[in-house]
Amino acid sequence: MSYELNGKLAARRDPLPTTATIDSVTADIIRGAFETVCFESATFLGRAASSPIINSSNERNAAIVDAHGRLAMGAVGTPQLTFVNQMETRWGLMNQERYDWGPGDVFVGNDPDHGGGHLPDYCVYAPVYDDNGELICIQTLQAHQGDTGGKDAGGFSLDAVDIFTEGLVLPCLKLVHRGELRRDTFDMVIRNNRFATFSGDISAMIGGVQYAVNMLEDLIRKWGSEVVKAAINHSIETTERRVREEVTKWPDGAYAATVLIDHDTAGTKDIKVHVTCTIAGDQLTVDLTGTDDRQDLVGVWNTFANSRSYVMCQLVAALDPTIVKNEGYFNAVEIIIPEGCIAQPPPNKPAALGSFHPACEITEAVCIALSQVVPERSQPQLYKIGMPNAVIGFDDNGMMWMDQGVDCRSMDVSAVQGIDGWGSCPNSLGSLILSEAEDAECRFPILNISREMTTDAGGAGQWRGAPGSLNVKQVLKPTTAMAWMVSSDHPLSGMCGGDDAIPYSNHFEVGSPNERKIEHTAQALLPEGAVIAYQHGGGGGFGPALRRDPEAVKEDVLDEYVSERAAREKYGVVLTGSLAEYDLAVDHAATETLRGEMLLEAAE
Amino acid sequence: MTYRVGIDIGGTFTDFALLKGSEVVLHKNLSTPEDRSEGVMQGLARLAELEGLTLPAFLNQCDAIVHGTTVADNTLIEMNGAVTGLITTEGFRDELEYRRGFKEDIWDVRLPAPKQITPRRRRLTVPERVLHDGSVHKQLDEAAVREACRKLRLQGVESVAISLLFSFINPDHEKRVKAIVAQEMQNVHISTGHEVLPRAPEYDRTSTTVVNAYVGPRVTSYLERLVTRLKDGGYRHQLMVMQASGGVMTKEYIDGAPIRVLASGPAGGVIGSAHAGRAKGHPDLLCVDMGGTSYDMSVVVGGHAPAEAGWNMHHRYLIGVPMVKVETLGAGGGSICHVANGALLVGPKSAGSVPGPMAYGRGGTQPTVTDALVMLGILSTDEGFAGGSFRLSRDGIEEAFAAIGKEMGYSAEQAAFDAWRVVNANMSQGVRRTTAGKGIDPKDLVMLAYGGNGPAFAAIQAEDLGITKVLVPKASPTFSALGTLIANPMIDEERSVIAAANALDLPKARDLWQQLCDRAEKFFTDASFAKADVACDYQLNMRYPGQNFALTFNIHGAAKLGDLSFIDETLGARAIAAFNARHMEEYNHIREHEVPEVTGVRLASHVVTPSPSAAGGFTAPKQAANPAKTRRANLGQGFGEVPVYLGKDLSPGSEVTSPAIIEETFTTIVVYPGWTARVDDAGDYELVRG
Repeated sequence: MSYELNGKLAARRDPLPTTATIDSVTADIIRGAFETVCFESATFLGRAASSPIINSSNERNAAIVDAHGRLAMGAVGTPQLTFVNQMETRWGLMNQERYDWGPGDVFVGNDPDHGGGHLPDYCVYAPVYDDNGELICIQTLQAHQGDTGGKDAGGFSLDAVDIFTEGLVLPCLKLVHRGELRRDTFDMVIRNNRFATFSGDISAMIGGVQYAVNMLEDLIRKWGSEVVKAAINHSIETTERRVREEVTKWPDGAYAATVLIDHDTAGTKDIKVHVTCTIAGDQLTVDLTGTDDRQDLVGVWNTFANSRSYVMCQLVAALDPTIVKNEGYFNAVEIIIPEGCIAQPPPNKPAALGSFHPACEITEAVCIALSQVVPERSQPQLYKIGMPNAVIGFDDNGMMWMDQGVDCRSMDVSAVQGIDGWGSCPNSLGSLILSEAEDAECRFPILNISREMTTDAGGAGQWRGAPGSLNVKQVLKPTTAMAWMVSSDHPLSGMCGGDDAIPYSNHFEVGSPNERKIEHTAQALLPEGAVIAYQHGGGGGFGPALRRDPEAVKEDVLDEYVSERAAREKYGVVLTGSLAEYDLAVDHAATETLRGEMLLEAAE
Repeated sequence: MTYRVGIDIGGTFTDFALLKGSEVVLHKNLSTPEDRSEGVMQGLARLAELEGLTLPAFLNQCDAIVHGTTVADNTLIEMNGAVTGLITTEGFRDELEYRRGFKEDIWDVRLPAPKQITPRRRRLTVPERVLHDGSVHKQLDEAAVREACRKLRLQGVESVAISLLFSFINPDHEKRVKAIVAQEMQNVHISTGHEVLPRAPEYDRTSTTVVNAYVGPRVTSYLERLVTRLKDGGYRHQLMVMQASGGVMTKEYIDGAPIRVLASGPAGGVIGSAHAGRAKGHPDLLCVDMGGTSYDMSVVVGGHAPAEAGWNMHHRYLIGVPMVKVETLGAGGGSICHVANGALLVGPKSAGSVPGPMAYGRGGTQPTVTDALVMLGILSTDEGFAGGSFRLSRDGIEEAFAAIGKEMGYSAEQAAFDAWRVVNANMSQGVRRTTAGKGIDPKDLVMLAYGGNGPAFAAIQAEDLGITKVLVPKASPTFSALGTLIANPMIDEERSVIAAANALDLPKARDLWQQLCDRAEKFFTDASFAKADVACDYQLNMRYPGQNFALTFNIHGAAKLGDLSFIDETLGARAIAAFNARHMEEYNHIREHEVPEVTGVRLASHVVTPSPSAAGGFTAPKQAANPAKTRRANLGQGFGEVPVYLGKDLSPGSEVTSPAIIEETFTTIVVYPGWTARVDDAGDYELVRG
């Protein structure tokens, strides 16, 4: 539990020793089989879990780690979390004797100071041995849990002072010993969670990895241990080669970016994330030196493993999507995170909220830096929302309900070169299935009034960010709401000369004498009938707005993504006709003149 | 003699299955993309000729013509449907564009947006609001509806979708909007959410309604054209149309929600498979259909292929109507083999039917799976391909694979062999993903292979999956057409009601089921079926609070139409017990302390019509078959001389040991090493491992 340990956990690992050689087609067939095991394991979890966030909304990850702790196959889930599993598995792997590893065992870990992501992300994993007892790989499953048994229900505390405020911390706990469930440890884990469904979820995770272990054992028998190890080596080497080949095509140089978070949960302003991406031949180095390290900050500490994973999530977006997601990425890229900064906190710092911020500012800074070399793939993979408003109440039977509902609508979908931002979220969140108003209203005493996109709420640009939505809902009974507001002073950045997205804003008790704007954080009891309105920031624009095709601007005005005023003032496009009559047309001569004037003005 | 004809239109061929008595006659002719009804009439003329009749005389003797159409799918693929507008509740204009957050590729930031059927300018909102209990929170602003109509008119809208919040609970506002649209916009096609998909949530219903509005006019006009041609030709009965739910129904019924024909072609094949599997004593099947461009996989359990209404993303739009679940992989005979970044890949790009594989000799220049099979000697260039309609050619194929081999560092034959390995692996992984979603181990299934290319890969793929038995019906190349003859006339509809299962409003539930019974009675009697012949499954949709998707199960099965005797005060308790049993089956656990909620009542009703008889068994004396010739081929263990049998020489009792190739009309069956093929009493093939 130290920076030294972080360094050991992150250190590069050797290939697996094997006597076999392998051809690329066979290696790829085995790689495909591994990928399918991950898919089946995650599907098993989805089918068996009780919690809707897992079985309906798909918030789960499966990965295979090899006997050296390398990510052999990262698949299925959200990319932000895909590159974490190997780190917390390594702690157990480094302590096999201490924890008495053997066939049939299943472990759980969630400790940020022992390779974990934030506390709610439980990683359940099991070692896989061949028939001679040799450890070949480890199957892992990770899923976000709705509670961690800490001070506040839900696992997030705005005022947490240490990790213990947030709940139960597990470096490596054996749940199943040689195939037998350890009832004592299982009950202890279950007891430290507020949700009745947790027992079913953790059982499903155990079942999911056991199911995968059986399949992996079959695969190892079919192909032989040596061939499987050769296939893992081949796959990781191929990924490293392909990443390096792509990096070689990028111009050498150092590309830096700074992103600020409005404030921490205690109100300290302008928390800084600084990233320098250096390209030298086929070597890419991502260095977070310069990132904020004020030790008295609250709520903005991201775990070391998560910081690495969020860096990688953005790098993956910047590279050919067909490159297999595995340890080869980490072998090809050096990541430097200074000790004690908010991206590598000292031990025992609370870390739950850090997965929102600064985690997302890390991806944003990497994206801005790389937009200078790979503009066509520079879309930030993040969620700039402070956190969705947590709306909590009690039903007629006194039971708690929570309509956090994963109900964000349009937010943070930036443009990339050649493509306007579209859809609800950036791609990396695209496997989640959001809940709907009709489902929520049948269940909770709330009324959804509006969730439409706001005109002009996306960053202008040669390619336009998707407008953010205005989510308005009314509570029909007295209800608690909790919020952390950021991305208002420092909204999501545009890329390559594109405009920033609009600022987030959040109002409670709209239309009443108590109407107020949430500036920092809020934890309030709303009276019956209160209305809350959350304006989401949209996506950033890409490229200068004055270069956007005037005809595309006209189409945007017809679709009310962009107002006629913004068409003129931001895009320099002069339209004739009327939106009400759908007969808008571009006055090309006037547009050319106006744009010329605007360029001149900008130059002055 | 009376006839029944099943017709399935594919991208390349239009398939026909003619049932006369218990005999089935198969026919294929090329599709006619310009006007697909033309190809249908050509094929019918050919069938008439085979029967020694004029077309009018033949059509006059047809009791039923059953049709599976791809016109709705093609409209979505080509995105050339009606100019469509949407009217929805104020505040909810953009749900369709949000897609509940879903994106098809989480890794590719350059994934293009799906083309919008209703761009934002044609998604208009009106002030109104109904709550979850059906009460009106805000009255409908009729002036706003008229203004929306004006705006849609100005934009040349031809088809209007209307989808308001909670219309499935209280459709009054939606009905009123429909009436106003009908007044204000003459001759437009109108689709309403409460009619097309009366259930929550709003994205699913709105998406389905919008797609219905988009494809509806084309489907309707196509069917009208075909009906007219058939009527003019002498056909006296109603045209029956295949639905994605696995049943058929009249054109009049389809007109109410044309979206029901989407993906109906593959459903026909699955229905045919279930029928054949049941007859041969194999109720649990893995059905694989490998055609020219795709590899379709589905699972039949207990002899049935239930239609599911869940997260069916189809051509990038969510379609919420019940569909027989068929997963598709881009692996067909036309899938292109290529090298990228040092890896040999097959598909997903396909040469399609035009130009098609190089072996078709129609200008294809990229090597495909079919071409690899030619290289491996599995497909013959000697005989007529696809029943003699054309012959395969080797021209250029060797050079194309040599080019791949050069990049990979080995010979052309090795390149073709690796392409065969890769496509096999892709298909096996696809099957595993399909069965994983259902919690099924493929080892427990029997494989049924059909489609032109399915039987060439079936046994080797079965081996990879641990499956030890493969069925290949003689009719496999036209199985989807045969399936349309097997499918029964069926209506599967639901009505929404949301309540805790122990507090269900019984009079309301009775009223909703009665509405469904009334509709079924109307359409079945209009189609000349007797009410007494209609068999019904009364079903419930239920879920635990918090779940996104409901499970459907019978609460009163195999009952008479209108028999609502099961609705009494014990219904809630019976529903909870049945739901928990279903949940245990699907998810392997139940939540003992939670009361599930009912989300809808459903009625699946059907009548039984004559089907081609399917049989099995091996009573015919076993006889070793004689090969017609040998051919140099590689069946996975290197090149060697392989015996080739002709299907026409084989009869019930014939047995073919491995390695061997059997050439059937329209398809080639490979007996891989370690397998044995036998012909059963029905003339169908059974391949057994060991």
